[in-house]
Amino acid sequence: MQNPAPTRDSLAGKLPVSLITGFLGSGKTTLLKRLLRDPGMNRAAVIINEFGEVGIDHELVASSSEQMTLLSNGCLCCTVRTDLQETLRELFIKRRAGEVIDFDRVFVETTGLADPVPVLHTLQTDGMLGAQYRLDCVVTLVDAVNGLQNLDDTPEAAKQAAVADRIVITKSDIAPPAAVATLEERLQRMNPYAARTVAINGEVDVAFLRDVGPRSTRATPRDLDRWLAPSGEARPEGAYLGERVRAGAHDASIRSFCLWFDKPFTWDTFSAAVQVLTSLRGPDLLRVKGLVHVAGEPGPVVVQGAQHVFHPPVTLEAWSGTDRRSRIVFITRNLSRESVEALFAAVGTLAAPRS
Amino acid sequence: MASTLQGIGARPDQTLALNMKLLSHHELHGFGGIGEGMGMQLARDGRRILWLAHESAPKNFTAVDVTDPKKPQVVVQTELPHAKVRSNSLDVVGDTMAVAYQASAAGMRPAGFDLFDISTPEKPKLISHFDASGPHSRGVHAVWFVDGEFIHMASGAPDFQPTHPSDDQFYRIVDVRNPSKPAEVGRWWLPGTRVGDNVPPPARHAKFDSGFRAHNTNVFPQRPDRAYVGYISGGAVILDISDKSRPKLVAHWRYSPPYTGFTHTVLPLFERELLIVSDECVYSDGKDWPKLVWVVDARLETNPVPISTFPMPPVETFAKNGGRFGAHNLHENLPVPGSWRSDSVIVGTFFGGGVRAFDVSNPYQPQEIAYFVPPAPRLSHVGSIQLNDVYVDDRRLVFTVDRFAGGLYVLEMTI
Repeated sequence: MQNPAPTRDSLAGKLPVSLITGFLGSGKTTLLKRLLRDPGMNRAAVIINEFGEVGIDHELVASSSEQMTLLSNGCLCCTVRTDLQETLRELFIKRRAGEVIDFDRVFVETTGLADPVPVLHTLQTDGMLGAQYRLDCVVTLVDAVNGLQNLDDTPEAAKQAAVADRIVITKSDIAPPAAVATLEERLQRMNPYAARTVAINGEVDVAFLRDVGPRSTRATPRDLDRWLAPSGEARPEGAYLGERVRAGAHDASIRSFCLWFDKPFTWDTFSAAVQVLTSLRGPDLLRVKGLVHVAGEPGPVVVQGAQHVFHPPVTLEAWSGTDRRSRIVFITRNLSRESVEALFAAVGTLAAPRS
Repeated sequence: MASTLQGIGARPDQTLALNMKLLSHHELHGFGGIGEGMGMQLARDGRRILWLAHESAPKNFTAVDVTDPKKPQVVVQTELPHAKVRSNSLDVVGDTMAVAYQASAAGMRPAGFDLFDISTPEKPKLISHFDASGPHSRGVHAVWFVDGEFIHMASGAPDFQPTHPSDDQFYRIVDVRNPSKPAEVGRWWLPGTRVGDNVPPPARHAKFDSGFRAHNTNVFPQRPDRAYVGYISGGAVILDISDKSRPKLVAHWRYSPPYTGFTHTVLPLFERELLIVSDECVYSDGKDWPKLVWVVDARLETNPVPISTFPMPPVETFAKNGGRFGAHNLHENLPVPGSWRSDSVIVGTFFGGGVRAFDVSNPYQPQEIAYFVPPAPRLSHVGSIQLNDVYVDDRRLVFTVDRFAGGLYVLEMTI
C-alpha cells in the first residue's frame, strides 16, 4: 500500500458549496421545494431567501427556529440573515459547536436578479470561508418559456447562464418544443462547458447538482472531465443552428472557448499572463477554470477565477494518462479567443529563459 | 413538534464529525477504559495488532486485530494482579512490548515495567520485570520505547525521596538491549525535587499543583542526543542525553503560572524547527480551562518561544457535558514501522472535545481541519465521551480510545 501523504489534501477538507441561480420566474422555488424533500439531501444545508417561498409542510419539519429548520430527511434549511457571508460563517460555527447537524454540503439560493460573480468572490475573499468551504459548482436555471427573452433583455440572466457549471432547463413541458430546441442551441453556443439537463416540475437528480468541482488533490480524470465538460467542445464552433438565430442584445458579446497549450508553463509565466488579463479586462472574464501544466509540479494545477478574483491554485497529486496539455476554459464578455491566445503567446515569448 | 435550534450546546448523545468517518467501534468486551498506551505491531503473519493499555484495573492490556479496520477483533485481554495498580502506558517495537505499572500509592508493587515477547499475539510471554518500587515510588506512569534498545520513562525509584510526594516520577533511561536484564543507565530530575538537592524545592502552583514530575519522555532517531520531556508543573524540558548517564538541561520553558499547569507532551517537528507542546486537562467541568496545544518556535533550542495555540472548540459547548474537556495526548509521529508521521498535520485527543486534526503548515495560524466527537458511551458514568489517546497508522487510519467505557473507535480521515 502506498504511504498516504503526510500533508493535508487542500481540497478534500472543505465543505462543497453549490450556488443555485436563475432569473426571476425560472423555477428556483419549485426546484428547491423538490430538493428539500429529496432523501439524497440528507446532511445537506440549504440557504434560501425566504421560508415562505418554499412553503415547507409542517409534517416535514423535525425542528425549527426563526432562521433554521431541520427537515425530517436530515436536510438543514436556513434563511439568509444579514448577508450570505455572515450566514455561511454562522453555519460553520454552529456546526462546529454541535448546534446544527454536521452537514456535508451547502446549496445556496441566490436572488433572481443577482449577479452570481460577487457570491463566488465571497467564498474566496473571506479568509474563514475560504478555509472551510470550496465552490463546487454554479447551477443556473433557465426557463424554456421566457429564458430566451431574458437572455436577450437582461445582462444578469445572460451572466448567470454564462458562468454556470450546470444548466437546468425548466418549464419545457409548457413551452413549444421548437422554443426548447432554440434555447438549448443558444445555451450551447454561449456556454458549451456546462452540462445541461431538462427538469419537469422541478424534478432533477440531486447527483447532477453536486460533486462537480475537483474535490480532492487525488481527483481522477473522470472527476476533472465532469468539471470541465469537454463534451461541450466535441462539435466545432459555428456548426450550430444557434449561430444563425438572432443574436441577443446582451449575450451576443459573451463567448466561451477552451485554450489548449502543448508546452508546460512556468508558474511565473502563467501568473504573469493571468495578471495582465485580469488587470486589463477583469470585469470581462466572467469565469476561468482549467488545469495547467506547470513545469516541476507533480500533477496538473487547478485554477479557477471569476473577474479579477482567482482562487489559490491547487496542485493535484499526480498526472493520470498521457495527455499533459494545459486546458483552460474562458467565458468572456467582449473579449475574443484570439486576443487571449495572443496574450498568452506574447507572455510566453517574453518569459526569461531558464538556465 | 418544533423545538428551538438556537442557543443550544452540543448534546453528549450526538456525534459531531468533520472530515472523519467512523469505520468501526469496539467496546473491548465491556472493558472499554483505555489509558494512554497505544502501539501497533506489524505481526509476522501479516496482521496489524493494536496493543492498548487500560486506564485502570482490572484489565492490564488488550490486543486488537485491526488488519481490517472495519472489523476489529480482540486477540487477547489480560488481567492485572490486583486493583491498586494500573498499566496506563505501553509501547511496541517489533515483537517486544513494554508495559508500565503504576501503583495507587508509594511503596506498593508491582511498580515498574514488564517486557513481553508478543511474537504470538494471542500468547504474550513475559520476558522480564523492571522493579521501580520503593518507599516513595508509585512506579512508572509512561514509557517511550521505539528503538528496541532503551526505554525512556517517567518513573519513581527505590532510592529516590522527593521533596514533595507529588514529585516522585522523574526521567529515567533503562537499557533493555539484554531484555531479560533491564538496567538503568541514567536519570534526570528537576533540581530541588529530590531530598538532598543543593537548591530549594520549586514553588508549588497555588491552584493547580499536579506535581513537578515527568510525563512523556520522547527521544527520536533524528536527534538521539535529545530527550523532549513534558514535566507537568515544570513545563517543557529539553535534555541533552548524548551521555545517557548524565542528562543535561538544554532548555526549560515554563508557562504555568499564569497558566493552569500539566505539561504533557513535547513533540518536536525537526525539519520545521517547531515543538508541539500539549497540556493535559485533569479537572472536570472546565475547572482548569484552558488546557491547550502550543506551537513553539524552536529555532534557537535554548530559547523556545510560543507562537500560537491550536484553535480549541467552543468551551461553552463542551465544558459542562460531564468529565474533562481540553488537550491531552497527541499522535507522536512514532519512529516505528506502522506509524504515520507528519510534520504538518497533528492529531490529538481532547476528552469531551473528541479527536481533532490540525494543519500547522502555517505555524502562526494552525487550522482545525477534521474532528470526530463520538456520542457518550453507553457504559460511561461521566455522561460524555472522554477520548484519551490517539494513534494514526501508516494507512492514515485514526485509532482513538475512551478513558472510561467507550473502547476503541476506528476512523478514516478524508483530509
